[in-house]
Amino acid sequence: MLNRSLKIGIVCPYSWDTPGGVQNHIRDLAEFLIAAGHEVSVLAPALDEEKLPDYVVNAGKPISIPYNGAVARILFGPVAFSRVRQWISQGDFDLLHLHEPAIPSISLLACWAADGPMVGTFHAAAKRQKIIFAIGPILEPAIEKLSARIAVSEAARLTLTDHLDTDAIVIPNGIYASRYHDGVAQEKWQGNTIGFIGRFEEPRKGLSVLLEALPVIARFAPDVRVIVAGPGDPSEVEKGIDPQLRHRFEFLGKISEQDKANFMSSVSIYVAPNTGGESFGIILAEALAGGACVVASDIPAFDDLLGHGEFGALFQSEDPTDLAKVIIDLLRDDKKRFELAKAGRSRGQSFDWEIIAQQIFSVYEMSIVGSEKVKLASDTRSWNRFLSKDDK
Amino acid sequence: MTNWFFVAFLLLISLWYLSFLATRLDRLHHRVETSWANLDVLLQKRASVALEIAHSDIADPASSLLLTGAAYQARDADIESRSSAESGLSGALGLLLEDSAHLATAADNALLTELSALTDKIRVAIAIHTGAVTRTQMVRGKFIVRIFRLAGTAPLPVTYEFESDVL
Repeated sequence: MLNRSLKIGIVCPYSWDTPGGVQNHIRDLAEFLIAAGHEVSVLAPALDEEKLPDYVVNAGKPISIPYNGAVARILFGPVAFSRVRQWISQGDFDLLHLHEPAIPSISLLACWAADGPMVGTFHAAAKRQKIIFAIGPILEPAIEKLSARIAVSEAARLTLTDHLDTDAIVIPNGIYASRYHDGVAQEKWQGNTIGFIGRFEEPRKGLSVLLEALPVIARFAPDVRVIVAGPGDPSEVEKGIDPQLRHRFEFLGKISEQDKANFMSSVSIYVAPNTGGESFGIILAEALAGGACVVASDIPAFDDLLGHGEFGALFQSEDPTDLAKVIIDLLRDDKKRFELAKAGRSRGQSFDWEIIAQQIFSVYEMSIVGSEKVKLASDTRSWNRFLSKDDK
Repeated sequence: MTNWFFVAFLLLISLWYLSFLATRLDRLHHRVETSWANLDVLLQKRASVALEIAHSDIADPASSLLLTGAAYQARDADIESRSSAESGLSGALGLLLEDSAHLATAADNALLTELSALTDKIRVAIAIHTGAVTRTQMVRGKFIVRIFRLAGTAPLPVTYEFESDVL
């Protein structure tokens, strides 16, 4: 560990006030680094300046564009560019940490504008996109300025090597594992229960796969209950449920962090039937750390996270019959379920922020060795130096 | 008149592009050098930690001998045999850690923690270095870079073959 404290600038491409995996990751990382005695400034677009924590600097109002199967609130353009330049030149940073620098956002602008030690983290896992081939030649020199690249999962790393022909170090997302480890089992959620957390209205979260599997599961496990937590309107979903099974469903709405930990410790099985678009699966890591027996679809990110079935059971993605089979199997076999949950719990601990932040910090240390502070790229260009000398 | 203007404009653009490429290449060369220097320091450090471990109670006499040999080899290796010497040290350390981690005392544990922290850093340093090297090679392979000799007199960096499984 470095003895001196660092000044670290982190750039968040997405709007700070919309909930999302990248934003949560940056918030946790920033707070962890601050607690470790470093100075951190996060540059992020935001709608409401008043609610920002004091380490976040507002970059302006974001605009909504469709990206990777969801709507992303991001920001770019000349005004944003000058904000980014101002933030860099005033920040006097030892290092910049840019998140998702390959999409048009303030992260990419910062990558263009800055010169010096920079680390980039790539979160998204997507299939080959044609647009990248068009802008690749512009993107590559910028991405090349990053001294080290981090991917949050093997899937994200493959996306990066596919699109931009450059490699990355895999460091997974972090969770506060101890919080989940200390979750208290609640009687109301125990029994033959199947848990699901997430924005269930989004098709890619795959709740419909579970709905289709339920009639079969209910035949073999008559007392089974499904408990769904997360923001959204359940009435639409309830319409699609067989009336005879409707009373087996319970919608909790959005739950607190503490309740989430208790939830993971209580349910018999935590199920993640996501159909794709997932790069890491932070909720699975949390479920593992909470000691739930996890059943997940075999999309690459989950397959990787669950060690190909070692830490949780996998089923064929979008196949309700296979899902039903796996769940029935586990509900009937207590021993197998406990063993999977036990293996999963220690796996979950390996995503603890204590460990993850240390790994990220190692990358910081290795990136700043032998380099100067972060400066504006325009200040280091020879003709600009020449011009500014003339001014004096 | 417009023609001349157009030619001048094109010339300006190509000059800008050449200077842009040169800056890019310069940055890459710089990174290759600093990342190698950093990696070198870390590897040296690992060799000395390995020697300390060899002299501690963690290692039985046989593996101590093996480790001492590997550590000295890694320290004194010239650039050509460096790669195989470092891999040898990785192997010797791996062998030792595999079966003796559970009988280490508290004092020895500090050594082992130091080693594992060092190993993490080495892994990152290798990734940064090889990334810089392959990038530089790629940019230097460009036609324009070669024809205008933008690389100057800087030697072409060589890929250093590290075992990907450093411990």
